Amino acid sequence: MFAALSSPNIHTPRNMQEYSSIILHYPSSSFWAGGTYIMSRPDAYPSNSLNQEIIYLGGIEELHRFQRNDRFAEFGSMVTLDEIISTGKTVLPKVLIDNIENIGSRLITRRATIGGALASKDVITSFPGTLIVLDANVEVKFIKKKRLHSKWMQLTRLLDRNGHLVLPAQGMISRVRIAFTDKNYQNFSSVGSFMTKGDDAVAVAFATTLNQDLLLNPTIAFTYPKLGILYSRDVDNVLSSLRFPLDDKEYKSLEMILFTFIDSTFQNISELQRARTKGILRNIIDDLNEKALTVPQSEGS
Amino acid sequence: MKIDCTIDGKTLTLSLNSNKPLSLILRENIGIDNINHCTGKMCGLCTVLLDGKAVLSCLVPAFELNGKEVITFDSFQRTRAMKDIEKAYEMVGAFPCTDCYSSRTMIFESLVNEGITDKAEILKQLSLVRCHCMVPDDEVEIVHKAIDLRRKRNVRRSQFS
Repeated sequence: MFAALSSPNIHTPRNMQEYSSIILHYPSSSFWAGGTYIMSRPDAYPSNSLNQEIIYLGGIEELHRFQRNDRFAEFGSMVTLDEIISTGKTVLPKVLIDNIENIGSRLITRRATIGGALASKDVITSFPGTLIVLDANVEVKFIKKKRLHSKWMQLTRLLDRNGHLVLPAQGMISRVRIAFTDKNYQNFSSVGSFMTKGDDAVAVAFATTLNQDLLLNPTIAFTYPKLGILYSRDVDNVLSSLRFPLDDKEYKSLEMILFTFIDSTFQNISELQRARTKGILRNIIDDLNEKALTVPQSEGS
Repeated sequence: MKIDCTIDGKTLTLSLNSNKPLSLILRENIGIDNINHCTGKMCGLCTVLLDGKAVLSCLVPAFELNGKEVITFDSFQRTRAMKDIEKAYEMVGAFPCTDCYSSRTMIFESLVNEGITDKAEILKQLSLVRCHCMVPDDEVEIVHKAIDLRRKRNVRRSQFS
C-alpha cells in the first residue's frame, strides 16, 4: 500500500567500535532499541517524519549484559524488562519489581528495554521515575571531537525543569546501575494505563526508611505520562521533616505543599490525575501511619 | 530492503520497507486477513508466534524478521498443538469469541510451550487481550489442562519411538 515510500536505512552495529564509526558517518541517525515506543506511535508507518538512518542497537552484545555484585546490579541498555525480572527478582528493590510487573503483559515487557524506557522522547512508562527514586546511575556514551566518550552520571542530573530526561546530543545510554537499597518501606502505585489512556494515568514511586516515627532519606517521584516526571529534593526534605502518625490536618497541609510543587512543574494535569494522585498519596500516608503505630514484634512479645 | 524469513513454514525472501510492521506484512504481502493492524494500540488482536514466543506483530518491524520464524494462527490451527488447546477448551467448557479466538489461542500456545502454570503469570500475559469473553479462572484452567494434555502426548510419543 505504501510501497512508494522510501525505506529507512538500518545500521546494525555488532560492537561499540562499529557503533562509533556509524554514528560519526551519520550523526543525525535515530536509535532503535526495543521499538515499543516508535512502533506504537500513530505515525510509525507510513512515516514521513521517521529518520532515514536508523541504528538498531539490538546487535551490540555489550548492551545485553547483566552483572551484579554485593552493592549494585548493572544492566546493559538493551536488557529487556522481562529479563530484569527473571534475573534479579529476588535481589532487586521491591519498588522496581512492582513497577515492571505493573507495566503489563509479558508480550510487551519481553520487547521493551531499559534503555528505551529511559531514552524515549516522551514519558511513556513509569520506569524512569522509579529509577530516579532508586538513585540509579547511567553510563552515557556521546561523540565529542569525533571520538566516542562515556560518562557515568546520576539519572536525576538528566532530568530537566519540565520533568523530561534529556541526553546530550547524539548521546546514548549504554548501561544502567541500580544500587541495592536497604530502605524498609518501598511503594509503587500506578492508576490508569500509561499506554492506552496516558492523559489520565499517574504513577508514584516512593522509598524510605521508616525509623520509629521518622522517615530517613525519603525519595518520591510522580510520573504523569505525556507531561513528565516530578522529582525534587525539596519534596524529599518536606517528607523527611514529618513525624508519624500524621493527623488529618497535617495530611491536608502535606497534600497542599506537594500539589504546589506539582502545579508549578505541570500546569495542565487533568482533574482525574489530580484525584488519583491524592488517592495514592492518601494510601501511602495511611500505610506509613499504620506502620508507625504498629509495635515491632520483638518489642511487643 | 530484502528480508529472509520463514512465515508459516514457508521460507521467503521479501522486498519490504525496513520499518513496515509485521502485522501489515502479513495482511498485505502474505494475504492473511485475520490479523488485526491496530497501529500499535496494543489491542492484543495481532498476536503471532515469533521463534515460538507470542509477540504483538504490530510492534515488530520488518528488519527484525531477518532469519526469524513466524507462525500465524492460519498455519497453527492445522497443527497437533492446536488440538491440545481445542481439547482444553472443550474440557473446561469455555471458548474465546470469534474476535479474539486466534490471538488468545496463540497466547495460550506460548504459555503451554513455556510451561507456565502460575495463575498470576497466566492472567498477566492474557491481560493484553481486552476482550471480556472469557472468565479468568477458565483461562487458567485451560492452560493447566493444555499443559497436561501436551505432557501426556509427549510421553506417548517418546514411548512409541
